[in-house]
Amino acid sequence: MKYVILIYTNPEPWGHPTAIYTKEGRDVPQEQHDEMDREFEALLNELTASGEFVTAEALADPASATLYGWSAEGHLATDGPYAESKEHLAGFFLIDCDSRERAEEIAAKFAQPGGVIELRPAMWPGGDDQ
Amino acid sequence: MTEADLEDVWRRSAPHVLGALGRRYGDFDAAEDAVQGALLAASVQWPKEGTSDNPTAWLITVASRRLIDRHRSERARADREQAAALRVAADEAYSPAADAGDEHAHDDTVLLLLLCCHPALTRASRVALTLRAVGGLTTAQIARAFLVPETTIAQRISRAKIRLREVDARFSLPAAEQLPDRLASLQDALYLIFNEGYTSSTGATLYDVSLTQEAIRLTRQLRDCRARWDRAAIAEGSQLLETVLTRGHLGPYQLQAAIAAVHSESRSWEETDWMQIVVLYRMLDDTAPSPAVTLNLAVAVAMVHGPDAGLRMLDPLLDATSMRRNHRVHAVRAHLLEMSCRHDEATRAYATAAQLTTSMPEQRYLNSKACGGAGEPVAGAT
Repeated sequence: MKYVILIYTNPEPWGHPTAIYTKEGRDVPQEQHDEMDREFEALLNELTASGEFVTAEALADPASATLYGWSAEGHLATDGPYAESKEHLAGFFLIDCDSRERAEEIAAKFAQPGGVIELRPAMWPGGDDQ
Repeated sequence: MTEADLEDVWRRSAPHVLGALGRRYGDFDAAEDAVQGALLAASVQWPKEGTSDNPTAWLITVASRRLIDRHRSERARADREQAAALRVAADEAYSPAADAGDEHAHDDTVLLLLLCCHPALTRASRVALTLRAVGGLTTAQIARAFLVPETTIAQRISRAKIRLREVDARFSLPAAEQLPDRLASLQDALYLIFNEGYTSSTGATLYDVSLTQEAIRLTRQLRDCRARWDRAAIAEGSQLLETVLTRGHLGPYQLQAAIAAVHSESRSWEETDWMQIVVLYRMLDDTAPSPAVTLNLAVAVAMVHGPDAGLRMLDPLLDATSMRRNHRVHAVRAHLLEMSCRHDEATRAYATAAQLTTSMPEQRYLNSKACGGAGEPVAGAT
């Protein structure tokens, strides 16, 4: 089953890894950042080795977005960001794992200072009863 | 011999071996399989017994034998005896003498390059196929260089090969009237490879030295064989070919190469001959005008006539739809504003540039400039 792990955060200025650019992230001592980096690296290695890692992308600044509205007369493009919300989508991981429990176990490890992680199952047209 | 030595020999020999086989047998796919087989044999034999004096000739011999073996095994049983005879003859005919190994090497490489950059292929496919067949890079290496999954590159290459078969592309010098287009397509692919390596447009590593080196190496091969190739062309008696290849046609690539040469000739940024660069960019602006050329011209003008002259040239770009959200315009503007001691505006321009870039190292650099830092790129983090 595929799950997407969405990383919502508001780095200021925008930059990756986002955890070092958020206010909360700046309050965390460097040693702790290093420790989190090591843990995350280990997690990625684990997911790659197990084949659960599918793909991931870090996203550019929301200010670089273009928004498309629809109306019967045609579409209208405007410069982003989508909303002046507190947190923006900063990146995502697509994983493929055997169970919801496993996906939750993985997603929990993505928690970071100054951000919210959202786990969402991907839908597919196969339609078996989970 | 170490794995690195082997890879080095392989990458120098690959285009010659594949080119030689392709020219003789015409079948790109089968030739590539045979070359892979020969490399495998080399990886087993060379570490034990040492490299042959002429590794290219050795690989051509072994690959030819494999190709013929393959033809043989595909034949009916009754034909086997005849095929075996052919194999012996082929070995004798195709093993170059040690001192004659490079006789056709350059020509073969150019034919291979031209085939890889066939106009029936997409630009992305030409680049992938060139790196694979002529550059000798593995699918995984190409995928890493372009930061895409390996399967994407594998599919791209296999689709390209199918396409070449569909259009019946041959290992042969194109007709004279097609040559300018084919050369342009080839230059385009080499240019893309170089540029992708010079400033990787995505991802965490700003400079991918290997892609850049690869483009220079391939371009050098193209240049090295120009003299030989020109003679062949003249022998064909083509006036058109002479004009294009031998009479110093001054197109955008030549101008950009000249600009790059001026840059590389100077020992430092300060010693750059900016006046000459301004002249060359003005010529480029005449032959192939684009917002990107204007941007580069603005930098050179600023170096000669001061930041304000450069800034005036940038203003129209800020309104141009294609460049308005291009981070480079804002980054250049920020630097020029900084030179002009307009620090507040410079800070805002750096921040805008940082927002718009898709390169992580560039973003780090621009962010640090926006925060008033020296702008040293942060190493290590991804």
